[in-house]
Amino acid sequence: MILVGELSLWVALLMAAWATTVSFAGGALRRDDLVASGVRGLYATFGMVLLASIGLWTALLSRDFSLEYVASPISANMPTVYVFTAFWSGQAGSMLFWALILSMYATVAIATSRARNRELTPWAAGTLGGILLFFLATTCFKANPYTRLDWIPADGRGMNPQLQNPGMAIHPPNLYLGYVATAIPFSFAIAALITRKLDAEWLGVVRRWSLLSWFFLTIGIVLGMWWAYVELGWSGYWAWDPVENASFLPWLTGTAFLHSIMIQEKRGMLRKWNVVLVVVTFLLSILGTFLTRSGVIESVHSFAQSPVGSWFAAFVGIATVTTVYLVTTRLRDLEAKAELENTISREAAFLYNNLVLCGIAFAVLWGTLFPVLSEWVTGHKITVGPPFFNTVNIPLGLLLLALTGIGPLIAWRKASVSNLKRQFATPLTVVVVVAVLLVALGMRAPSAIVAYALSGFVAGTIVQEFYKGVGARRSIHGESMATALVRLVARNRRRYGGYIVHAGIVMLFAAFAGLAFKRDHDVTLRGGEAAELRDPYGHLWRFVSQGVSTSQLRDRDVLGVTLETWRDGKPAGFISSEKRQYFDSRREPLFQPATEVGIRSTPKLDTYVVLAGARGDAAELRGSFNPLVMWVWLGGFVMMIGGLIVMWPQAERRRAQGGYAAVMPPAGAAAGSEAAVTV
Amino acid sequence: MTAAVTRRDFMARIVGIGAALASGAGGLAGQTGQRAPSRSGRAPGDTITVVDSANLFAMDQGAAKPVRLPPKRDAAPSMTSDARDDLEHHIRCQCGCTLDVYTCRTTDFSCQVSPAMHRDIMALVEGGYGAQEIVDAFVSAYGERALMAPKKSGFNLVGWITPGVALIGGGIAVAVLLHRWDRNAARRSSAPVTDALDATPEEIARVEAAVRGDHDG
Repeated sequence: MILVGELSLWVALLMAAWATTVSFAGGALRRDDLVASGVRGLYATFGMVLLASIGLWTALLSRDFSLEYVASPISANMPTVYVFTAFWSGQAGSMLFWALILSMYATVAIATSRARNRELTPWAAGTLGGILLFFLATTCFKANPYTRLDWIPADGRGMNPQLQNPGMAIHPPNLYLGYVATAIPFSFAIAALITRKLDAEWLGVVRRWSLLSWFFLTIGIVLGMWWAYVELGWSGYWAWDPVENASFLPWLTGTAFLHSIMIQEKRGMLRKWNVVLVVVTFLLSILGTFLTRSGVIESVHSFAQSPVGSWFAAFVGIATVTTVYLVTTRLRDLEAKAELENTISREAAFLYNNLVLCGIAFAVLWGTLFPVLSEWVTGHKITVGPPFFNTVNIPLGLLLLALTGIGPLIAWRKASVSNLKRQFATPLTVVVVVAVLLVALGMRAPSAIVAYALSGFVAGTIVQEFYKGVGARRSIHGESMATALVRLVARNRRRYGGYIVHAGIVMLFAAFAGLAFKRDHDVTLRGGEAAELRDPYGHLWRFVSQGVSTSQLRDRDVLGVTLETWRDGKPAGFISSEKRQYFDSRREPLFQPATEVGIRSTPKLDTYVVLAGARGDAAELRGSFNPLVMWVWLGGFVMMIGGLIVMWPQAERRRAQGGYAAVMPPAGAAAGSEAAVTV
Repeated sequence: MTAAVTRRDFMARIVGIGAALASGAGGLAGQTGQRAPSRSGRAPGDTITVVDSANLFAMDQGAAKPVRLPPKRDAAPSMTSDARDDLEHHIRCQCGCTLDVYTCRTTDFSCQVSPAMHRDIMALVEGGYGAQEIVDAFVSAYGERALMAPKKSGFNLVGWITPGVALIGGGIAVAVLLHRWDRNAARRSSAPVTDALDATPEEIARVEAAVRGDHDG
């Protein structure tokens, strides 16, 4: 099977070259037989890449250490689940994984849209084939997982124990699923530009796949944050590391696109801008991969420096030049079909939303690349870390949060003064109440007060929208509250799914603001000794050490400490933290000692304990009180649910009735009137 | 078919990643007062187990430089421990991890650089030096690379102001676009309807009369 896999990889490369050439030729010569052959070539590429992947999985699971890739990320005594996930943990495997997902996506996208988009198909299939060709060529010639060693080691070097975590097993695949999905909208955008078929047909495919990309990027990013928090022991979840930034960038531009495409669907506006966003989102996905694999940028996560960097740079360059040429030569075809009627309208709010999202994306990209530019100009290495990103992005983030609430309250086309008064009265009251309450309770951090007040504002708008929608259904159909709520969401999935995503965003911002009140303490405790610490809410915590313990397991030595905890004199359970030294099957030490964090998590507060080390029976500990961290994970989960609701297929008949794209209230009408129309 | 990698190349690649860690590989056992099993002393030709102590990043455990200044006269600690921790968030650990001193020393407990830098910071605080003086001392020892964010001066000022300039530029572009659309909309709504109709005044009057008739009827 391993040999079959290796051969399949090379056949896949040939198939991708065939699919690309024949699809483009079929499009240019208008020959259906060539197009059909190209599409079949794309499907065959998927089959071959799948075989190549099965071959690599077989090599990993059978621990065939004759392959360099197998001898690198796994060892004989590693748990099978992490041997399986080792497929995407290294450079060569992750390249093949990219190709696997891309070929699968390409097959599904072309198979499901071919009938509706006959003119776009050859060009979209050719573009997807070209991207696949690039990834497969890079895999075959620069990072081949089937590269053999000229001898067989007794054991592999194994995977870093910090990567042997459930979050890390599923975080990368989600990110890859998100990154790679951006290739489908890009391909259809290229096809639409080449054919000049830039009306509504390509938008359906593009929106669906952009949503899918956004959905997986969201899950991937939140899982990465969770992994960093529970595994790395620094008591935080986001450090503005270049690899984190690389995943955030396409998420930002993808989010901007998902908002601005509504304006194109509804009004035929922003056609140029939407094409640009689609292209930029894809290029940022590739650029992120380039940055983290080229060694150009220092990162805590970076893959080792490797020759794939120059290939990625060339690919980004070619893709950029091609799309710039296509867009600039088709500007007339991309003229808007309508113009904004009033600067106080939802379209205008979405424009500001796009401005802020793209502003954040630019600031993040700029901060990530600036060390390279600065060194090039001044000759000195510098670091651009959290102080820069927080200074620049916190105000922008708060502005974005405000727009998250403002957008849905303003009517399409033109908002009247009475509409604005009616829509904003309750949410603005919530802002004032929250701000006053927080100040009265003693909160003095200005950015946190603003963040919570705005969170209250957005939450107020969401509740108001649901309240009005449910109320309308109840009065028209006489439904119960629960039935009205379920049917309201089910029949307006895009709109109310979007509001649920906004609710997740509110939770995230509230949690981020909680970091302003984080407290860290360093303590040393012998067995039986106690430390008393106060949390940000003023509660007094008592930690009593149960002593240091050691144990030896199959693959690791463990040094542990358990603390019994009391809060304000009441028992609050036990927290344990460990320090682990992993060994290979010959009991040779592997990697640095790894830390297992002890976390007691509640909605209000995480109590976070890290064992630094031990001297005799004295445990050296760092304890942190991290307010509201649980809301980061809950917010991510709520965003995922909202995304699922938005993506869930809806019958055509219902979509025509219920989707906001088909509903146009008269100019100046209340935004809430949509609910009345669509209930 | 796929080329083979020689044993020498593979070992160089694998060990190279972790070589920088060798001096700090005492690990857990070292911290508990025991000795870690040695990887040295292997006889040539022994079966080699491929091992590596690579962490998520390659550390240079010897990167710490002394940053010391004589205590000020009648020196008293210049800041609280919370303020010192905050200061450590702005000074970068030099082990290669990309983290700040506080995060590195409280996260990767096998790093020897951040604790050394922490000791220097504590000594400077005890010696009465303020936050900016301590930052300047670290910059003179390590260069601007000692900071977690570039100084707001010289070329690096460009780094700070560009995002703001870009956002303002984008805001102006959006405002101009909105203004243009607004103006066009106003022009459309104020233009007489008859301008757009290819009809004589008599024909328009007949249409209007017919419409009135419909309403009346």
